[in-house]
Amino acid sequence: MTQFIFFSGKGGVGKTSMACTHAVRYADEGKRTLIVTTDPASNLADVFEQKIGHHVTPIAGVPNLSAMEIDPDRATQEYIDRAMSPLRAAFPAQMVQVMEEQMSGPCTAEVAAFDRFTDFIVRGESAPEFDVIIFDTAPTGHTIRLLELPAEWSQSIDAASAGSGQTCIGPAAAIQDAKHKYENALAALRDESLSTFTFVLHPEAIAIRETKRAISELTKLGIHTYRIIINGIIPASEKSNPLFAARSEMQARYLKQISAELPYPTQRMTLLSGEITGAARLRGVGKIFFDGEQAPAESESSGGKIISVETSSIDEIRARIQPNSHRRTVFFAGKGGVGKTVASCLTAVWLAQQGRKTLLLTTDPAAHLGDVLGQPVGDDVTAVSGQPNLWAVKIDPKAAAETYKARILNDARQRGRPESAIKVMEEELDSPCTEEMAAFDQFIDYASQTDWDAVVFDTAPTGHTMRLLELPLDWSQQIDVKVFASVDATAADDVAKQRFGQVIEMMRDPAQSTFAFVMYPESTPILEAWRAAQELATVGIQPGLVVVNFVIPPEAATTPFAQARRKMQVRYLAEIRERFAVPVLEIPLQPQEVKGLEMLAELGNRAYGEQVKA
Amino acid sequence: MTDVIPLLNTLPISIAPADVEFFDPPMCCPTGLCGPVLDQTLLDVNEMVMSLQRDNLRVERYQMASSPNAFLGNAEVMKLVREKQMDALPIIVVRGKVIKVGAYPTADEVKAALS
Repeated sequence: MTQFIFFSGKGGVGKTSMACTHAVRYADEGKRTLIVTTDPASNLADVFEQKIGHHVTPIAGVPNLSAMEIDPDRATQEYIDRAMSPLRAAFPAQMVQVMEEQMSGPCTAEVAAFDRFTDFIVRGESAPEFDVIIFDTAPTGHTIRLLELPAEWSQSIDAASAGSGQTCIGPAAAIQDAKHKYENALAALRDESLSTFTFVLHPEAIAIRETKRAISELTKLGIHTYRIIINGIIPASEKSNPLFAARSEMQARYLKQISAELPYPTQRMTLLSGEITGAARLRGVGKIFFDGEQAPAESESSGGKIISVETSSIDEIRARIQPNSHRRTVFFAGKGGVGKTVASCLTAVWLAQQGRKTLLLTTDPAAHLGDVLGQPVGDDVTAVSGQPNLWAVKIDPKAAAETYKARILNDARQRGRPESAIKVMEEELDSPCTEEMAAFDQFIDYASQTDWDAVVFDTAPTGHTMRLLELPLDWSQQIDVKVFASVDATAADDVAKQRFGQVIEMMRDPAQSTFAFVMYPESTPILEAWRAAQELATVGIQPGLVVVNFVIPPEAATTPFAQARRKMQVRYLAEIRERFAVPVLEIPLQPQEVKGLEMLAELGNRAYGEQVKA
Repeated sequence: MTDVIPLLNTLPISIAPADVEFFDPPMCCPTGLCGPVLDQTLLDVNEMVMSLQRDNLRVERYQMASSPNAFLGNAEVMKLVREKQMDALPIIVVRGKVIKVGAYPTADEVKAALS
């Protein structure tokens, strides 16, 4: 066991549960253990059933165990405070305010979160405070970018000190100061005796591909210690249930594929009929996982009658996704792995089949839209072959940044800027924030195109989505600051401001936009979606639809295990209706993975009805 | 928070002031490229700086957030900043003398002040 253990993998695969199970086990063995999350949509507090927050917090009932949630907003504020405190006394209030506003941009947020993250990865300290630090990291795409930061950063810091002595994130001195820390952190990540990367995945095609992709990215960064946990394995006792038997067969194929294609130490964890919250339950799971104990048969929750649950009518649901006199933009929000991609694909395919000219778009850096559609999705808008009226495109932040850079540099060349100036610009554009900015720039481009009847966004995981959606507001603030900088730029800034303003207006108007929250009927995903919805409400955006995925149909609940899970789901379906006062679309659990146009069309028709041409 | 980012310990290392000093308004970066809109004025300034450097002149650019000490170390600049606040910026100082307040000078203006 290494001192630093990273849990990675698509959200919703039980990453947090497994990380917490390990944390409780190590703490019970007497090791001083800390579990840290860097996920903006963290659910550590839900699993431990207590408030945690932005500081090291002892966990009740588990001696030796502490937890911390790194809140990126809070981290940003702390970082700004540290940088600003000496200046408050010296400068006039107005200027202090401008400096502070300037530091609240997206760049500072990235830096600050990473800065906090590296605080915990310190090598060679004589007496470390913790024997084990477990990082319940953010979902794959985000994790990779977070971990890539040090490499990009070292470069951008070097360039900054060699060149102008400034970078976009503010004081070069402050970064210089941190450079040592970041290098140290990266060295610790690469040190096989210090760090282990544990991937949690379900035995599914997309999960396997994503894990392979993530490992290959990390390997390129010089990280080499991996471990695999395959979670959600259907118990052998479920052979008598046709739905679970079919899924179990599917799993067997993927288990074989995993052992062939992911040659790392691998452990398996069985699917449990209930959820994992609270220290006692985590200890029980530890016994199953570490000691090979049999999962307990159905507890007292099994048996009894399944209460019925209200369902929304197809008309109600359809009204939320069909274009009316306006174009309709549907955003699928939710934690990664809850079936956002499936929901957006089946919606887009259905809209296209109704004769609506539809664009399907993803901003997820680890895009698996192409996996579900059964054909690759590129960085340019491309017709989906086999489905008239449907086009698809992916916003890849890296590719977007390249395009953005090329556009700006070309523009500068056309204006007759000398090569020496272009070179400086190129250097400036190599900052980590360019990607974030460029991705959003493209998002606005597509959102402003008017020739679509419907635009369906398969958005990034919740926390990331939030930050992306909040960007326009951050930018408006930045533009306000920039107006000071030069009179000449004011006109151009006004155009930009108007562009962002229109997009925000469009997102706020329920006649034009629908925010569909995708979740599966379990406590953590519901809470996360609820928080995301509340955060969106603060920018004036209300949920329009809830999509519940992986619902066990009543007719499939034929065994005690399936009945126990169905019963749990029904309880949560009722809670969903209570929390979100919007139509609820249920997508039944499928005997195999949803893939390909045919299956998507069938599911789309089941969800929204056949042939309802306006 | 115990560890304070040591902005105030980052005094310019040189003893003598630079030939040309720019006290810039708050910006994302020296070329203005970090913003969503490319600012041509700032690019012009950047080119002017490079051209001055090619003539073996020492040029420094300061922003409040990154080089507060450069501001604090120049009494005249601080006086302007306290009086006019943001409107004072940019302030351009040639060989210790303020030559422009609230706007960037042309290359000719800078050259005239240098000769």
